[in-house]
Amino acid sequence: MGGYGDVQLLREDGLRLDGRKIDEMRPVTIEAGILPAADGSAIVTQGLNVAIAAVYGPMEAHPRKIQRQDRAVIDVRYNMAPFSTSDRIRPGYNRRSREISKVTAEALESVVLVERFPRSKIRVEIEILAAEAGTRCAGITAASVALADAGIPMRDFIVGVASGKVEDTVVLDLDKAEDNYGQADLPVGILPNTGEIAFLQMDGDLSPDEYNLAMEYNFKAAAEIHEVMVDALKRRYEGGEN
Amino acid sequence: MVELVPTLLRQELARMAESDQRMDGRARFEAREITLETDCLYNAEGSAKVTMGKTIVYAGVKFEIRTPWPDRPAEGSLMCGAELRPVAHRKYEPGPPSPESIELGRVVDRGIRESGCIDMASLCIVPGEKVWGVMIDIHVLSDGGNIFDACGLAAIAALRTAIVPAERFDVGEDYTLKVKGTPIMASFTRVGGRYIYDPSEEEELGGDERIHITLGDEGHLHSLQKGLRGVFTPAEFTEIFDVAQLRCAELRKLVANQEGN
Repeated sequence: MGGYGDVQLLREDGLRLDGRKIDEMRPVTIEAGILPAADGSAIVTQGLNVAIAAVYGPMEAHPRKIQRQDRAVIDVRYNMAPFSTSDRIRPGYNRRSREISKVTAEALESVVLVERFPRSKIRVEIEILAAEAGTRCAGITAASVALADAGIPMRDFIVGVASGKVEDTVVLDLDKAEDNYGQADLPVGILPNTGEIAFLQMDGDLSPDEYNLAMEYNFKAAAEIHEVMVDALKRRYEGGEN
Repeated sequence: MVELVPTLLRQELARMAESDQRMDGRARFEAREITLETDCLYNAEGSAKVTMGKTIVYAGVKFEIRTPWPDRPAEGSLMCGAELRPVAHRKYEPGPPSPESIELGRVVDRGIRESGCIDMASLCIVPGEKVWGVMIDIHVLSDGGNIFDACGLAAIAALRTAIVPAERFDVGEDYTLKVKGTPIMASFTRVGGRYIYDPSEEEELGGDERIHITLGDEGHLHSLQKGLRGVFTPAEFTEIFDVAQLRCAELRKLVANQEGN
C-alpha cells in the first residue's frame, strides 16, 4: 500500500487533498514573448509551478566541437532558481539538472527542423522560479512555446505532462505531496498533432494496466495544454505589435 | 578587434549628446517606466519582481539555520548574490560566476549590509549555536540595461517582505523580518561624454564607465562603486549625486507604496 506509510493522499470522497479529481490537472496558464532580450520566450504556470523559457538563435555553435555539419544542435539548460524550493538550492548545475537538460534537448531536437540550420546552435534556457512537482514538464511546455515564439521551424509542439500513482490509484499531474509520498511518476513529452512521444521518464512502480491508464490521462491533459499553448501564441501575434 | 557596431553607436551617441538628446527620447536624468511587484514567488520567504524598460529581475529571500562565526557568536548573517544567467541575454555564457555577476552581487550586498537595515543580533537564535542566515538571490531574466538598479531595488523590496520561517525549522512562530530602512541604488553611465541616469542596453553598449551610488533613508551614502574604464571629476560626481538623492527618495516611496504604507 501507499508509498511511504501513513500519509493520506486521497480523501474519503475520492478526491485528492487539493480537491482535484483523479484525472484532473492543475490549472495551466501560458504567456509568450515575456522576455524582451530573448529571441523567443514563454512563461508557464501549472498550479504553483512557474517555469520560464528563453530561446536564443540559431547562432554560431561554440565551442566548435559541438558543431554538427548537417544540423543545428540544441543546447538546453534547465535550472532551478535558488529560491524556487522550500530549502534553498545552491546555485549551479547539479546531476539532476544536467540529466533533465540532456533529455529535454534530445526531445526538442526531435521536433525542431534542425537540418535547416547546419553548424549552428539554438540555446534554450529553462528557469524554474517556483517548484511544486512537475517542473520538467512545465519547462518542456515553456520551451516549445518559446521556440515557436522565436520563429524556429518545428514539425510539432511538445507538451510536457505527467501522471503517477498514489495509494494504488493512477492520478493525473502529481502535486508536491503526491510526488513525495506517491508510488510512481510518469512524465512524458507528447507531440499533440501526431500523438508521438519525444520525452519519457518514469520511476516507481506501475503495472502494465496502470501504465496504460496513466498514458491515457497524459494524452488527455496534453490536448488541453496544447489549446492553451496555441492560444498564448495567437494572443502574442494577433495584437499586431510584432 | 574593433567592434564595428559599438563604434558607429558611439559616434551616434556622441552626436546626440551635443544637443543633450537620448536615443529613446528621454531627458538626461529621466528614468524608464518602472514596475515593482512583491510576494510573487511561491517558495521564497520574501520576493520581488522589478521591470525597468526591457530589464526584468527577480529577487528571492531564503533563510537557513547555521552555526555562527566564531568571532560573532550572537550574530546571524546576510548574503546577497546575483546570477547573470544565460537566460538574460545572448551575451551571457553558462559557467562559473563571471566577474560581472560577482561585482553586481557584491555592490548590491554592500548597499544593504552597510545601511545597517538588518540588525545582525536580531538573527541570533541560540548564541554560539544557532543563528539565521539570510540569503537574497537575485535572478536577472532579461538584461535591457541598468541591471544594477533593478537588482538593488528587487533585493531590498524582497527583503522588506520576508517572513522568517521559524515554524518550519522548529524554533518558534513565523514572524516578519525586521528591516530598518530602505537603501536604494542609483546608477549613472557616461554616454556621449556626459553622465546619464538609468542607461538602456544601447547606451551601455556605446557608453563608458558607470557609477553606482546607494543611499539610505537619511540620504547618507552606504555604497559607491565605479565600474569599467574611465575617469570622472568631482564636479561631475556632485551633479549626479544630487540626482541620486532625488531619485532614491522617489524609489523609496515606490517601495513604501507597494507595502501599503
